[in-house]
Amino acid sequence: MNIEIADVTRQFGRTRAVAGVSLRTGAGVFGLLGPNGAGKTTLLRMLATVITPTSGSMRLLDRDPGAYAARREIRRRLGYLPQSLGYYPGFTVAEFVEYFALLKDMPPRQVPGAVATAIERVELAGKARAKLRTLSGGMLRRVGIAQAIVNEPELLLLDEPTAGLDPEQRVAFRLLLRELGARATVVVSTHLVEDIGVACGEVALMDAGKLVFHGTPQELTAKGEGHAIGDAPLERGYSAVLAAARS
Amino acid sequence: MTARTIITVPADARPDAGSALRLVRLHLESRRVTAALVTVVACALTLRIALRWSWDTYGALQLPLILESGCAAAIGITTGSPFGEPERATGKWLPLLRLGSAITMTATAVIAFAVATLGADLAGGIADVVRNVVGLVGIALLCAALLGGGLAWTGPVVYMIVGAYGLYTDWHPPAITSPWIWPARPPLDLGAALCAATVFAAGIAAVTWRGARESA
Amino acid sequence: MTAGAGQVVGQADGEWRAWRQRLVAGVRLLRLELRRSAMVWMLPVTGALFWYNAFRESMAEPAMWNLRAMTMQHGVLLDFAPPVVGAAAWMGSRDGRRQLTDLIGTVPRPRWTAQLATWAAVTCWALVAYCCCVGVLYGLTARQASWGGPLWWPAVVGAAGIPALAAVGFAAGAWFPSRFTVPIVTVGAFFALGFSSQPRAPQWRVSPTVSGAPSIGPDAGIGTFYHYLPDLSIAQVICVVGVAVAALGALGLLDRASGSWLRPIASSMTAVGLAAVVLAAGLAGTARLDPHGMLVIPALHDAANDRPIGYTPICAHAVIPICLNPAYAAYLPECKRALAPVLAEVAGLPGLPVRMSQGAPVYFGPLNSGFAPSGAGVVIADGSSDGSRQTTLVLPDQLPGEPSGADITVNQFIGQIRLPVAADLIKIMVGVAPGAVRVGAVPGAGRISAASGGGSPAQRAVAAALAIDAGATGAPRANTAVGLAADRFAALPAAVRHAWLATHLTALRAGRITLAQLP
Repeated sequence: MNIEIADVTRQFGRTRAVAGVSLRTGAGVFGLLGPNGAGKTTLLRMLATVITPTSGSMRLLDRDPGAYAARREIRRRLGYLPQSLGYYPGFTVAEFVEYFALLKDMPPRQVPGAVATAIERVELAGKARAKLRTLSGGMLRRVGIAQAIVNEPELLLLDEPTAGLDPEQRVAFRLLLRELGARATVVVSTHLVEDIGVACGEVALMDAGKLVFHGTPQELTAKGEGHAIGDAPLERGYSAVLAAARS
Repeated sequence: MTARTIITVPADARPDAGSALRLVRLHLESRRVTAALVTVVACALTLRIALRWSWDTYGALQLPLILESGCAAAIGITTGSPFGEPERATGKWLPLLRLGSAITMTATAVIAFAVATLGADLAGGIADVVRNVVGLVGIALLCAALLGGGLAWTGPVVYMIVGAYGLYTDWHPPAITSPWIWPARPPLDLGAALCAATVFAAGIAAVTWRGARESA
Repeated sequence: MTAGAGQVVGQADGEWRAWRQRLVAGVRLLRLELRRSAMVWMLPVTGALFWYNAFRESMAEPAMWNLRAMTMQHGVLLDFAPPVVGAAAWMGSRDGRRQLTDLIGTVPRPRWTAQLATWAAVTCWALVAYCCCVGVLYGLTARQASWGGPLWWPAVVGAAGIPALAAVGFAAGAWFPSRFTVPIVTVGAFFALGFSSQPRAPQWRVSPTVSGAPSIGPDAGIGTFYHYLPDLSIAQVICVVGVAVAALGALGLLDRASGSWLRPIASSMTAVGLAAVVLAAGLAGTARLDPHGMLVIPALHDAANDRPIGYTPICAHAVIPICLNPAYAAYLPECKRALAPVLAEVAGLPGLPVRMSQGAPVYFGPLNSGFAPSGAGVVIADGSSDGSRQTTLVLPDQLPGEPSGADITVNQFIGQIRLPVAADLIKIMVGVAPGAVRVGAVPGAGRISAASGGGSPAQRAVAAALAIDAGATGAPRANTAVGLAADRFAALPAAVRHAWLATHLTALRAGRITLAQLP
């Protein structure tokens, strides 16, 4: 199991963003769905060791992220793409990815090759020397994905990774997800239900900080049978589960 | 959204006083004018405190120049827009808002210095303050138009050193007498005042028309 | 080799490899940051400010290493402060402005080490600019100076100040990544440096813009005859290094995502840095002025630095050799012009010194208020080991061409040498000084009176007459017997006057000649 969290809670002042979430998952692509403010980003940030849980226990890659040495080891094997990615406009694509490769303690000799591979995988090889300020929003998103995968992470956390990507790129990205999921645990938080259906082997649905569904996309689809809201089977399943959780 | 909810705005629609005030307030808030005002007041107070010591020769004139530069830098920074293109693709009020906020902030800085130095021994007097602040703000506004709001401070800070050295040469010849280095000229020097005013006018025009350059 | 020992060796080898990898990664990070540092854009601005201020001010000084180096030290950090602090603050606030703080927080390498690489890049570029600027100034001085070598301590202090400026700016930007931080900290740093350059209390001398005793400043006599004392410079270096260490330590306190190991290290660095600053200020507060115009800090002083600097004097011949320190070579013609008329009056007379050599000025007075070098142009009689007389000549404190509030002309400089030298030389020869020698408010406009100055009337009359003929200005013609005798003696043809002195000087000096016996 690469992710084992039990009864994890995160409080921001009086707001309980994540309320007692428990989850266990191993290699594969894991989808995280939920409405705005459900706590998906907060959960991802805890998994990325950016913030610590207010309560509960967490084990990532068989290590306790509370201990410094273990946390460092987790971060060496971690890739993270936040929802809103900042960047240094003066850096080139290659420099930006290289920067994060070095910060992730990758062996320096491997860095050039890893950077080139990561850029190639997101189909930006032709833009490797372009300054980030010259790229479109979608391309910047792909640069963000490249920095997340440069170290071949065992735990990859992606928050809205396909935002701004054109349909062709989304298809390519789903392919990449399946490829990465063969070896690593990939957690994808997204609003695009079709991405979940195509790429994910497991899916969880959050609402108001709680986990209201955990299963396969097929099981979520089945929940939606007979439900009126939604244009696709998975959407209907999504709406049905939310409606049930809120009633 | 349905057809019934589409609202047609008459061509001659004008905001009422309440909404105009609200627009101004929101605009100023978006430019972080409060932080700039705090900076201006802090500079004025620092000058007041510093004048408790005795300053002689060129030091007495360099001291207010440094703090005036800080004010001008803060005013220049407020020209930066956090919204980017969506704000530019709006109606006619934006240039007026920019013009009004730049002039108001400049006047506020001058008044703050005048009030803070009442009764204190300020070398050069209020005439010096007005000329320097106006000229430095002009430089800051031009920098904002060229480099962006975030870098608007570069012009006043560089000019501060130029002016400080110019003042030094008044006591250690050969003196620099160009009116374009107005801090080194006497307070009521017409040429220097005109140069400072020209730079201010150019800066105001640039920021009113174009606004601060948007950085990537 | 046992299995256990092999394990230890393997472990050590692995650790060494890990360290080496980290080092190489650190170098690559630095290389990245060097390519993209905002300081690169500031280089032309820095160069322009240096040229406009410190360079022009230094080059306006006569071509003497001490004058130019000390003047440079006063202005160079003021020129570098705004671009360096501004660029550093801009880079320090980069992660906050670009919303990368969270993402940087997910990497194993502590954020602090990544920030150190960014700070190091700004510092490297700033130091490159500093070395180029100071190099140009020193290079031109080397071509123009007549003697001596670079004064390195002022340059070292400036160089040590650059990382401190960058560290302060960077830490401020990292702690407060607001768009207002950059101008506030830039203007604040300039203000603080400028304020500290006019020390109001002894401890303020630790400011890196102070290049010597504040009331003396750059002076031609400092570091020319005696070695430039590094005491104050060492204290200043301790201070700026302390500032840099404290600021970088404060940066580490910001990194909460790394382990608990970082906080004690960062706190210790901050504390040590601040302690160094306090220590340096305390040391500077104990400084006292030595007779050579430099500040001595007892705790840092090395007595070996008190020795005089050896040099081969350069001489011009005017009746007797007039020899100066080669640093003053440019002023030898003026010295000769000043002293030739005086020496011509007493040439060949018994008791005339065989040589006139420049001596070091002696500085005395309170440290922070008016000081006085030993009287400019004073001739101090001194006996040498072979029994012949040599005199020591001290040049005026103010040299022609030195930019200051009171620019001295060449003629004024000549007058400032001639007047007191004439007075003392006449005293040596005749036995009495030519009355009260008062150097006027305007340099060179001194007056010698035939008023009471001790000695016999004949001595006073001859002394006054010699002073008039030597070119000392404005001897009053008093209607006294002494004054009239002085006028008569001064009006004699030079050859007649000289011949009379050759015969009667010994008796005159002994007081055996009366007024009536004067021609």
